[in-house]
Order: sequence, then C-alpha cells, then structure tokens
Amino acid sequence: MEQAPRKTSFLQAARAVFWSFFGVRKRTDYDSDAVKLTLGQVIAAGLIGAALFVGVLLGVVYLVTHLAAK
Amino acid sequence: MADAQQQNSTVLKKLIIVTVLMFGFGFLLVPFYKKICEVTGISKDKIAVSNTQMDPARWVSIEFDANVGKNLPWKFEPLTAHLRVHPGEFKQVMYRVVNTTNRTMVGQAIPSYGPARAGSFFQKIECFCFTQQTLKPGEEKIMPVQFVVQNDLPKDVHTITLSYTFYEQVKADAS
Amino acid sequence: MEATHAQDHGHGHPTGLMRWITTTNHKDIGTLYLWFAFIMLLAGGCLALLIRAELFQPGMQVVTPEFFNQLTTLHGLIMVFGAIMPAMVGFANWQVPMMIGAPDMAFPRMNNWSFWLLPVAAIMLVSSFFVPGGASAGGWTMYPPLFLQGGISNDMTIFAVHILGISSIMGAINIVTTILNMRAPGMTMMKMPLFVWTWLITAYLLIAVMPVLAGTVTMLLTDRHFGTNFFNAAGGGDPVMFQHIFWFFGHPEVYIMILPAFGIVSQVIPAFARKPLFGYASMVYATGSIAILSFIVWAHHMFTTGMPTSAQLFFMYATMLIAVPTGVKVFNWVATMWRGSMTFETPMLFAIGFVCLFTIGGFTGLVLAITPVDIQLQDTYYVVAHFHYVLVSGSLYAIFAGVYFWLPKWTGRMYDEKLGKLHFWLSTIFFNILFFPMHFLGLAGMPRRIPDYALQFADFNALATIGAFGFGLSQLILLVVVLKCIKSGAKAADHTWEGADSLEWTHLSSPPPYHSFVTPPVVK
Repeated sequence: MEQAPRKTSFLQAARAVFWSFFGVRKRTDYDSDAVKLTLGQVIAAGLIGAALFVGVLLGVVYLVTHLAAK
Repeated sequence: MADAQQQNSTVLKKLIIVTVLMFGFGFLLVPFYKKICEVTGISKDKIAVSNTQMDPARWVSIEFDANVGKNLPWKFEPLTAHLRVHPGEFKQVMYRVVNTTNRTMVGQAIPSYGPARAGSFFQKIECFCFTQQTLKPGEEKIMPVQFVVQNDLPKDVHTITLSYTFYEQVKADAS
Repeated sequence: MEATHAQDHGHGHPTGLMRWITTTNHKDIGTLYLWFAFIMLLAGGCLALLIRAELFQPGMQVVTPEFFNQLTTLHGLIMVFGAIMPAMVGFANWQVPMMIGAPDMAFPRMNNWSFWLLPVAAIMLVSSFFVPGGASAGGWTMYPPLFLQGGISNDMTIFAVHILGISSIMGAINIVTTILNMRAPGMTMMKMPLFVWTWLITAYLLIAVMPVLAGTVTMLLTDRHFGTNFFNAAGGGDPVMFQHIFWFFGHPEVYIMILPAFGIVSQVIPAFARKPLFGYASMVYATGSIAILSFIVWAHHMFTTGMPTSAQLFFMYATMLIAVPTGVKVFNWVATMWRGSMTFETPMLFAIGFVCLFTIGGFTGLVLAITPVDIQLQDTYYVVAHFHYVLVSGSLYAIFAGVYFWLPKWTGRMYDEKLGKLHFWLSTIFFNILFFPMHFLGLAGMPRRIPDYALQFADFNALATIGAFGFGLSQLILLVVVLKCIKSGAKAADHTWEGADSLEWTHLSSPPPYHSFVTPPVVK
C-alpha cells in the first residue's frame, strides 16, 4: 500500500535533483519537496544523479575523441 | 532538554563516523589511483616494459651448460637447463656454484658458444663471468646471467648452446 | 566588542582573560574567531606586502630568493586557513544560532576547543620562519618531491595543517548539529535564511574533505620520517598522486571558502534592496549543486601533469558546467536588486563590489577551465589574478560586507558610515590597481612564485605593488572603524536595517543579550 506514494516521491526526488544541478527550482515545487522528501531520498537521488552526470560527460568525451580521430 | 542532547549526540556520532570514513577514503585513493593508472594504461611502468626491439615471430632455443676445470673440485650447474626466447627479448637465468673443498678458492668462468659464430650475437648484460668469484670453504652462490639474443642473429641459427667452464685462479694471478 | 556583554556580567562567569579562554558562549567564540581572522589577515597581508615590495622592480632588492619562496608559501597558508576560513566560522558562530532561534551551538565546549586549537596552529606556522632553514618554501599546496625534502619547518606545517583540520571538522560538526537539531519551532529548513543554508552545505563539505587533507599530509609525514613511499618516486611512489589527492580536497575547499560568502551576500543584498531574495529555492539548490559538482572537477588544477586527452576533456566540461549554478546565483542577486528601493550603505557597497568583481574572477576561471588555454597559462600571474579576484573580492569582500552589516547588531552601536565608505572605495580602487594588471602579466607569460622577472614586466609590477600597499593600508581603516564603533559609536536600533528580516533583527535587541533565545521564538 506504500507503493504509490513511494514511486511518486522517487520521481520527485529525481526531479528535484535534476533541477538542483541546473540550480533553479520553483518556490512551490521546492516547498512540496521539503514536505514530501526525506534526506535519504535526496541523497540517494543526488548520488544517482551525480553518477549519471559523470556518465553523460564520459559519453560526450568518448564521442568527441572518437569523432576527432576520424 | 535531555531529549535534545540525545539527538545531538546521535548526530555527533554519525558525523564522527563520516569523518573517520573520509580519512580512510583518503588512503583508499592510493590503490584507486594505481588501479586507474593501470586500467587506463597511463602507468609509466607499463610503457617502460613494452619492448619494441623484440621479434615475437621468431624463436631461438638456448641450452645452458656448466663445466669445471679438472683441478677445481667445485660443483657447478645451471638452475635452468633450457629456455626458448625471442630475439631481442631480455632474459635472466641463474647458475649455482658450490665450493666443496675446505679452503677458500678463487675461480673464473669462461663462456663458449655453439655454434661459435652465435657468440657475437649473444649479448650478456650481466654475468658472473665478468669477475672472479671467491668462495669460502663449503660456500654456495647463486649467480645471474642476464642476456639478450640480438635481432640480427643469422636466420639459420635455431639453437645456441652457452657453456661455462670454471678455472681456478692462482693467487699470483689474481693479484 | 567587549561592550556587547556589558549588561550581562551578573551570571558568575569569569571575567577578564579567563572569560575568553573558558568561554562556551557562541557570541564570545564568534568574536574570538573574527579577531583571530583579522590578526591573521594582517599577518598574511604583511607577507604579501614583502612579496610585492620585492617585485616592485626587477632584480633582487628586499629579500633573498629562499625567503621569497617562504613568503609565498606562508602567505597562502595563513590567508586560506588562518584568515578566510576562521572568519567564516566566526560568522557561523555569531549568526547561525541567532538566525535559527537557538540559544547556543549544539556542543558549546567543543566549540571552545575548536577555536583554541587555532592559535596553536597559527603559532606553529608563524614560528616556522625562525627554525633552521626557515619556513616551508614549496608553495601552500605542499607538493612533493620538494616538500619531502627540506627541514623541520615542513613537519611544523604538516602538524599545523592537522590541527587546523581538526578544528575545522569540529566546527563543522557543531554547525551541522546545531542547524539540524536546534531550530526554533516553526523554523523549517525552507524558512532558514540563506546564510544558514550555505553554512550547512559548507559544513558537510568540510566534514567530507578535511579528513582527506589530513590523510594526505599524514602520508607526507610518513614519507618523510617513517620510510613509506606514497609519493617518493625512487621508492615506487608517485608525486603526481599527491596532486590528485590534494586537489580532491582542494577544489571543494575553494567552495568552502566561497559558499558562506554567497550566504552573507544573500542576506545583505535583499536587506538593502528592500525585496525578498529572488529565487530563494533556486539559491538553495544551486548551492547544493555546486557542492556536489565540486567533487568531480579537481584535476583542472593539474592539466599539465600529463593526463590522457579524454580525462582533460572530462574535467574541462565538468568545470565549465559548474559555472551554470554559479551563474544562476549571480543572476538571482541582480534580479533581487532589480527595481528594488536600493540604498548604498557600506555593507551593500561591499556586496555589490562582491557581485561585480567575483564575476570577473568567475569568468577568468572559465577561461582557465579550457584545457589548451590552461596549459599556456598554468602557473602564470593570470592564475594569481583569477584566484585573488574570487578570494579577495569574493570571500574577503563578503566578510567585510557581513562585518559592516552585523556590527550594529553585535555591538549595539553604529559604525562610522563615512569611514566605512572610505574603506570600501579605497579597497576597491587599490584592489583593481593591484590585481587587474596581473591578468596582463600572466598573458604575457610572467610565472608566479618567482622573485625576479624580465624587464618587460616591470611597469605592470610596479603598478601592482602600488596597489598592494594602498590596499593593505586601507584595511587599517576597518580596524579604526571597528574600534571606534565599539568605543563611541551611536546607539544602534534593534532593527538596524529595516529591510532585513531574519530573527536576529526582528526578535533580538542590539546588542543581543548574552544568552539569547533561552525560550525559543515561535516562527510563523
């Protein structure tokens, strides 16, 4: 029965982390983040987000170096 | 109030654990660093060992042989009797020598090659035959030979025999 | 700042010197931190003036080359660990409890201890000038192999860094616990003033990276004395590894020094624009984002150490992307000022100076992030100009803004507005005379940490030296302003700046009682 809220809050954590990387967040969204999200969720989402960010950057680097080689 | 203090010390404990973990993480970065250098091939050691002089297509057999002069009662033998190498490849083998007498003796090893013309292509970087060997009564020595078979070894040479013979050096000679 | 507590001396706590040694009061400790930072600022400033005096003309005039190297090393160490960081912790001590409605810090005794470690470390650092061989001379970054050689002063530096690290970690633990546990009822995380938010994130950064610094200087110590070979190439170690580990600490350290400055400026600008901070939530998120990103950009300090191209590209992209959240902050400050009813008292002047000049430093940082450019400019005066724009006109200006902003609250007396404005204008003019020419020197190829230089650099160096003495002497005005404020300033109103809306202005007198918020305020 906990299933539904957990799912949305994970999505919300992901969304919060995405916006935080950009550094912009609407006040209303932020308020609902602060109510709904726990610190653990944000940290977990932050770590996943950071890993994804590193992965994307590495992908870009791979593309650039391999296109340049051609 | 007591409750608040309880909460504070819980946070304190957690943060101290984080601090200790991060201190350990600093040291963990050392093996990380070595591993990353190894995996990505940045490691300079790796560049240093790749031998561009080696001819991996060709094999040469090396036979190691050991003899002693007739008036030198030493025990002398190679620890490796046989080796297959590529020309240009750096190798090391060990020889063992034992003075079986009860007096200190001085010996000198003289190398010879079969076929003889292979000798000028057999390059010794380090050899116990470069110097005289002094052995106390009953003393045993393990001695290295480091060598490279040069790339321009004639094509028809497939086997080289390296033979050492130890001769006694009399005192007057030695000085 | 004695006057602060004049009316509260009835509680039987010691007076005189013992009061300051034994104090566990967050206000006293904040005061101690700030005075310590100011003394260190003057000490580090004197070293800087000696450096600039030597560089006034080409050739060797004032100091020997060995002593020059000691000056650059100790100037860096003292300013980073002795002036900027303690000043920020001083602000945290004074302001965090008052801003969240807490009676004191969570661990008052630990707070006392974390301050009193600082003078010990400072004495160790400064006295290393007088040991045989003189002070450390390998640069504040302590790179091996140079740092593995050299005399006892290097060991003194290592121990000083250890002590400073322990002090910072204890301070950070205290601040995190205070913010998480001791907020007044109704003071939710999202209602906290931005200064508190930036310090919360800074404190986490400190807890994450100061132990790493402690670990790496421990490795230096064992390499020097206990036969390990972490960094000794002759024993199978790698000196470049030190740079990686050091900058894994060092880059978050950069943000440790600037995030609280962002916090101070985010308090000052809304107060004088008389508008709430634009995009408060964005500011919080941008701060968190900067903190996380700061862990994956360290190698941009070492592009010339021989990295694969792909690694250089990775660190270059990551570094450039960190400019996005920083840019968001700058835009938010500008948007806060936009159509505000602005007045330009000294704190606001320093805050605006911060926004303008820090942005210049941010842009030169972006230039340096570009790998091929950085390879050209590595270790030139361009880098010196860049990090002084972010540290002096960034962190230090924010500290000045904060001091002028909260001085009426702390002392209960107004500072001299005329002298304050004089301090700002002289500082800003001389600061630019001092550091702006360094961009040109660096682009022309003048290397840093060099006591002598080629003739073509002479004019700009002479100009920079004039700026340096002007800037250095201008800081004495601050001393005069503060002393005058304590002694004979006019009585300040409780709500000194009517645009400021955090708890210390709305709920506390000026000066605040020695024990404020004994009963927590209720925040709506």
